[in-house]
Amino acid sequence: MTETPIVFVVDDDASVRSSLRFLLSTVGLQAETFDSANSFLQRKRSDAPSCLVLDVRLPGLSGLDFQRELAERNISIPIVFLTGHGDIPMSVRAMKAGAVEFLTKPFRDQDLLDAVRIALDRDRARREQEMEMADIRRRFDSLTSREQEVVSMVVAGMLNKQIAAELGTAESTVKVQRSRAMEKMKATSLAELIQMIEKVKSPLERAS
Amino acid sequence: MSSTSTLSANIPLEDSIPEAGAPLESILCTEELQRRPSRPPDYEKENRALVKLVSALADSPGIIFHTLAETIQDITECDSAGLSLLTKDGKTPHVDGQRFYWPAICGMWNPHVGGGTPRNFGPCGDVLDQNRTLLFTHFERRYPYLMPVSPAAEECLLVPFYVDGKAVGTIWGIMHSDRRRFDAEDDRVMASLGKFASSAYQTWMHIENLKIQVAEREKAEAEVRQLASGLEAKIRRLVEANVVGIVLWNLGGAITGANEAFLHMVQYDQEDVASGRVQWKDLTPAEWRNRDEQAIAELKASGIFRPFEKEYLRKDGSRVPVVLGGALFEGGGNDGVAFVLDLTEQKRVQEDLQQAQESLYTTQVELARVSRLTTMGELAASIAHEVNQPLTAVTNNANACLRLLAKQNLNPDDLRRALEEIVADGNRASAVIARIRGFIKKSPAEKSELNVNEVIQEVLALVGPELQKNRVAVKCELGTTLPVVMADRVQLQQVLLNLVVNGVEAMTAVTERPRDLVVQSQIEESGDVMVTVSDSGTGLSSEANRVFTPFYTTKANGMGMGLPISRSLIEGHGGRLWATPNSPHGAVFSFTLPAAGSPA
Repeated sequence: MTETPIVFVVDDDASVRSSLRFLLSTVGLQAETFDSANSFLQRKRSDAPSCLVLDVRLPGLSGLDFQRELAERNISIPIVFLTGHGDIPMSVRAMKAGAVEFLTKPFRDQDLLDAVRIALDRDRARREQEMEMADIRRRFDSLTSREQEVVSMVVAGMLNKQIAAELGTAESTVKVQRSRAMEKMKATSLAELIQMIEKVKSPLERAS
Repeated sequence: MSSTSTLSANIPLEDSIPEAGAPLESILCTEELQRRPSRPPDYEKENRALVKLVSALADSPGIIFHTLAETIQDITECDSAGLSLLTKDGKTPHVDGQRFYWPAICGMWNPHVGGGTPRNFGPCGDVLDQNRTLLFTHFERRYPYLMPVSPAAEECLLVPFYVDGKAVGTIWGIMHSDRRRFDAEDDRVMASLGKFASSAYQTWMHIENLKIQVAEREKAEAEVRQLASGLEAKIRRLVEANVVGIVLWNLGGAITGANEAFLHMVQYDQEDVASGRVQWKDLTPAEWRNRDEQAIAELKASGIFRPFEKEYLRKDGSRVPVVLGGALFEGGGNDGVAFVLDLTEQKRVQEDLQQAQESLYTTQVELARVSRLTTMGELAASIAHEVNQPLTAVTNNANACLRLLAKQNLNPDDLRRALEEIVADGNRASAVIARIRGFIKKSPAEKSELNVNEVIQEVLALVGPELQKNRVAVKCELGTTLPVVMADRVQLQQVLLNLVVNGVEAMTAVTERPRDLVVQSQIEESGDVMVTVSDSGTGLSSEANRVFTPFYTTKANGMGMGLPISRSLIEGHGGRLWATPNSPHGAVFSFTLPAAGSPA
C-alpha cells in the first residue's frame, strides 16, 4: 500500500518520453518509458499503483488496439491517451473502453498531471480492493472443508439446528465449527462475515 | 400491205447467180415506146385517178401503195401493177438496200406481194442504175429467178422514183400477153405517177416514223404507268404501315390527309382532318412559325424542304417534338406531302443522357474537390503530428522547469538538460517545416509552354456548375496577345482553382449586391504575364497579408493551406502572388508568371 506509484509512458518519440518523465518528476512521480506497445508488454512491470500514458499514434500496435489487447489479457490499468491530431469518434471510443482522459498534444501540463493523479487513484483503489478480496479468500481457504460448508450455510441464513440436521451432526458440533470459522475469518460479527463472503462471492462463483 | 420483216424472211438472196442469162440489151425495148401508135391522153380519167390518190393519201395512208398500184393498173389498163421499194431495215444491215421488195401488187401478180428482186441483178436495179423509164420484154430470160413467177411477163414498164434525190424504188406495170402493148402515153402517165409515188412514199415514211414514235411513247408511258402503280403500292404500304407520320397539305395551311401515325402524334382524328378543322399553321407554336416560313421559302425555291426539328401543338395544347421533311407535288400547285417523326422518345433519351453527363460532371467536380480537401487534410494531419511531437516535448520541459522554479527546487543540471532538449526540439520543429516547404517546392513540376488564357478557360469550365449554383457572374477579360509561359499546367490549374473557389466562397454571404467574379489576364511592362482574380465578397479587412500564413483561415471549414501553397507554387515558377482589397468590396488576388524564354 505504500509502494511508490509508477507512471508507464508509451510514446514512439524519445523527446516526448524524456520530457514527460521530467514533468512527472516535478510532482514526485516516477516514470517508466517504452517506445512501443510490445516493449511494454514484454517488460516485467513492478507491482505498484500505476497508470499508462499512451500515444494513440504508435508504430505497430496503435494505442486503441493496445487498449483492447490489455483488456483481453485481463490487465486492468488506467490509461491516459495522448494524441497529435485527435477526433471526436476516436476519443469517444477510447473513453468508452475505460480511458481516464484523452488529451491533445500539446496539452496543458496541469491537465496531464491531474489525469495521471486520477488514474493512479483509480488504480490504487482497485489494488486495495483486490488485495482485500485476496485476503478474505486466503482466510476462507484456511478453513476446513466442514467449516467452509458451515459458513456457507450460515451466510445463507440457516439456523445451527437446521445446519446440524442437514449435515447429520449434533447442534453443539456446528456451534464449535462456526465459532472457529469466525475466528479464522477475523469476523467480529455475523454481519461482518456475511459482508466478507458477499464481497468474494461473485469471483468465487466465477472461479468454481 | 406487207411488213418489211416478212419480206426479208421470205426472199432468199441470189447474189451468186452466174452471168448465164441473156444480156440486158436483149430484154429491153424502151425505144419502141415512141415508135408504137399511142392512144390519146385521157386527162379526165387521169385527174380522177389523181384525186382518188390524193384523197387516199389523206384518208387512208396505210394502203396508199395499194391504191397506187390499182391506179397504175386502171390508167395503163395493164394486167399487173405494183411497186418495188429498196429494203430499209435497220435491224439487219446486211439486207439494208440490198434488195427490192414488193409492198403492193394489183392484178394477176397480186399473190406475189411480199416477193422481190436483188438490187444489183434485176429489172428494178437496172432502172435505178440508168435513172430512166425502161420497158422490158420477158426479163426472166436474163433473170432466171423470175422464171417461176407466173404468169410470165410479156412486157414490163418500170419507172424509178426518188426522194430528195435518192432512189428509193420503182413503180411498174406488166402485160402478161400481147393483148395490149405499152405506148408513149403510158410512159407519160407512169412518169407522172412516179412523182406521186415519191410524195406518197415520203408521207408513208413519215407515218411509219410517227407510228414508231407513237409506239415508243406508248411503251414508255406503259412503263411509267407500271412503275407508278408499283410505286404507288409501295408508298401506300409506307403510309398505312404508320411507322412514320405522313401528312398531305397545301401552302394555304390546310391538312388534306394524314395517316394514323401522324394523327396519333398530334392527337387529332380523321374526322378533324376531313372537316378541315385542323390546320398545320395552328399546329405550330408561335416560336416555330419563323422556321416554318423558312421551310416554305425553301419549298417555293426548290420544291422540297429539308428535314428540320420543330414542335407541334397537340389537341390538348401539350407539345410534341418532331422532325419533318417534305416536298411539293410536281406541277406547280400548292399541294405537297411531308413525313413527320415523333422525337419524344429520342428527346427523352437525349435528356437522360445529358442529365447523366451533368451528374457525372458534378460528381467529377465534387470528387476533385473532395480529393483536394482530403489531400490537404492528410497533409495537415501529418504536419500536426510532426510538429506536435517536438512542441509537446518543449512545453513539457518548460513547464517542468517552471514548476521546479516555483518550488525553488530547480537544480542547474536539470535546467541545462531541459534547455538543451528544448533547443533540440525547437530545431526539430523548424526542420519539419523546412521539409514541408521543400516537399512542396520539389514536387515534380512538368513545365511546358502554356497559354495562360487556355488554363483560365479550363478552370472556369471546371467550376462552371459551382459558379451557377452560387449564382456568381463571371466576367473574363483576357489579353489577346499574351506571351506563352513555362509552367506546370496542373499546378497552374490548382492555383487558379484555389483563387476562384476562394472568391466564390468569399461571396456566398453576399446578398445585397451582385456576386461578380472577374478574371483578367494581361501583359505587364516587365513582360510578365499577370493574372488577377477579383471578387465582390467580404474582403480581407486589415489581414490582407496574413492570408498567406500557413493554417490561417477565415473559413469555417478551411484548412488555411490553400494560399500559402498557391504562393509557393507561383514562386516556384519565378512569379509572385499577392492580395489587395477590391473597390468597393471584395478582394483581388494577382499573380505574375515570367514569359517563356525570359530569365526567370
